Amino acid sequence: MSNTVFNRTNIFIALQYLLSRKKQSILATLGVMLGVTTFIVMINFMTGVNDFLDDAVFNGSPDITVGAKKDAQKHKKFETRISSLPDVTEIDQLLTEDENVQSFAHQVQSPAILISNTMQLPGGINGVFPEEEKHMVELERRLLDGKGFESLKDENSILLGVSLAKKLQVSVGDELKMILPNGKRTQLKVGGVFSFGITTIDNVRTYFSANTLQKLLGQEQTTTHIHIKLKDRNNIALKSKITSRHDDVVVEDWQDSNKTIVIGNKVRDILTWSVSFALLLVAGFGIYNILNITVIQKRKDIAVLKTMGYASGDIVFIFLVQSIIIGVLGAILGIALGYAISYGISVTPLDTSDFIIVDTYPINFTPVYYLMGFVFGVLTTILAGYFPSKKASKVDPVTIIRGA
Amino acid sequence: MILEATHINKYFKDPERHQVLHDVSLQLHDGELISVYGESGSGKSTLLYILSTLDTDFDGSLQTQGRDIKSLSSIELTNFRNEHIGFVYQFHYLLPEFNVLQNIMLPAMKLRDRTKEEIKADAMTLLEEIGMKDLAFRPSYKLSGGQQQRVAIARALINNPNLIVADEPTGNLDQKNTEMVFELLKDITENKGKTVVMATHNPKIYKNSHRAIEMIDGFVRL
Repeated sequence: MSNTVFNRTNIFIALQYLLSRKKQSILATLGVMLGVTTFIVMINFMTGVNDFLDDAVFNGSPDITVGAKKDAQKHKKFETRISSLPDVTEIDQLLTEDENVQSFAHQVQSPAILISNTMQLPGGINGVFPEEEKHMVELERRLLDGKGFESLKDENSILLGVSLAKKLQVSVGDELKMILPNGKRTQLKVGGVFSFGITTIDNVRTYFSANTLQKLLGQEQTTTHIHIKLKDRNNIALKSKITSRHDDVVVEDWQDSNKTIVIGNKVRDILTWSVSFALLLVAGFGIYNILNITVIQKRKDIAVLKTMGYASGDIVFIFLVQSIIIGVLGAILGIALGYAISYGISVTPLDTSDFIIVDTYPINFTPVYYLMGFVFGVLTTILAGYFPSKKASKVDPVTIIRGA
Repeated sequence: MILEATHINKYFKDPERHQVLHDVSLQLHDGELISVYGESGSGKSTLLYILSTLDTDFDGSLQTQGRDIKSLSSIELTNFRNEHIGFVYQFHYLLPEFNVLQNIMLPAMKLRDRTKEEIKADAMTLLEEIGMKDLAFRPSYKLSGGQQQRVAIARALINNPNLIVADEPTGNLDQKNTEMVFELLKDITENKGKTVVMATHNPKIYKNSHRAIEMIDGFVRL
């Protein structure tokens, strides 16, 4: 007598049942496949977009920005001096001591007008200290042409976002004029062009030597902003720590500055999980339905199997195996199709929108999601198959045979 | 003696308490063909289910092939039936998903006291005995009623049980097939030494059995 329900005979019977209603079995398998495919494609695509945006935004902008309060300059109508951040040394001290701070960098930001041979654009100029800034922004990865922060050692070198460079119609090596609020005109040379892939950054971002900018402005010790990168981005206790000690500064965190992106990511996450869940649920119901009907139709056969010596455990196994086979097969097909569609999307050319600058759709092919899709698909079918199987095992041979 | 039932009382509780069997005591011997006959509702099927260990909800005792049935757990009972009792029903109840040979092999595939090849060979021998060897690979639903019932008998014999329980095995068959099935069951007892106990309405059958037991309203008339 076989002690375990997992044996060739039971699997043989299960397979025979599956094959004897091919249409239903195939339909159920396709149902699971559809659920898993959708899950894979959606999660690949949505997390691809999320990761792309996260990477561009969080690498392109700091987690926390400390700036001067704007009202400080309200009393003067035409300000030729830029307002300096107070208490820089104290804030530096605080940041050095804080354990969640990964790195921080000082910036001198000033309004400026940039003039090329053909164009003239009002904007801002970011004076950075290359030794500090290189810990904040991985610019090398973003460079399209020219050099990164090291080119700022040349005091007249400026780095431009790709969209800004296009508007100014300049490329690496070209000359630019800059006019600062104090009226000072300076001749600059484009040292590099970079792209973060997001228009809001690539349209306006410039990098310039902070030391040079301070000299040109005649404000040698001025710092206008401190940019901070955190070890744990979600812990922004530092923000209130700064504002509680310094009431003359404005502190902004990444959520304030990227609200739309943060919300967008959340919406995409919710969408992915709810749609995939709904589809798997539908597939699960399909299997539940098919097995349930089979169990009802096959009550007599189950009774006969039981009188022959097949125990309740054997019956549960025989029916559960059918749904597991459907689940595993559907999940494998779903993964294959999901990968194919995701791959197709990842090589589809994308018209550059106003918001994102990429050549093709961003897709995240992380294997974990494929594993997840498989596990979800199989789990759904096991769950859906369990109840009809249990029902089948409870068939009482006496009442069935007597009732005939 | 292959089976001994002593003072069996059986009640149905649904829809109201009703006694179906009254103090039934019975002994079955090796190589015997016993018919149980009586009106519908006289309790013969109920008695059969108890004798075949499918129904254990009764008062009294049942000893068969060295075991006290009431002392066995449900899984032990299932295994016991698999090995020691063969079943034949009024409606042949072959499984339509399987072919003739596979249907016969199913009880043995559960018991697994032989290799699959040996089971197959035994099933073929049984098919030969019932004269259906050439239909071995036909889907079971493509057989006539008489053929199906003969296959069902072969299936009941595959694990070589000593007791065969048949519930109106000819109830659904014409004259010619009824005779054929009856001869087959008789042959099993006389030439193989098995015990067959069957419920039947057919006077030709119970009159030609080794022993006939009449049931009236739950009592055995001796």
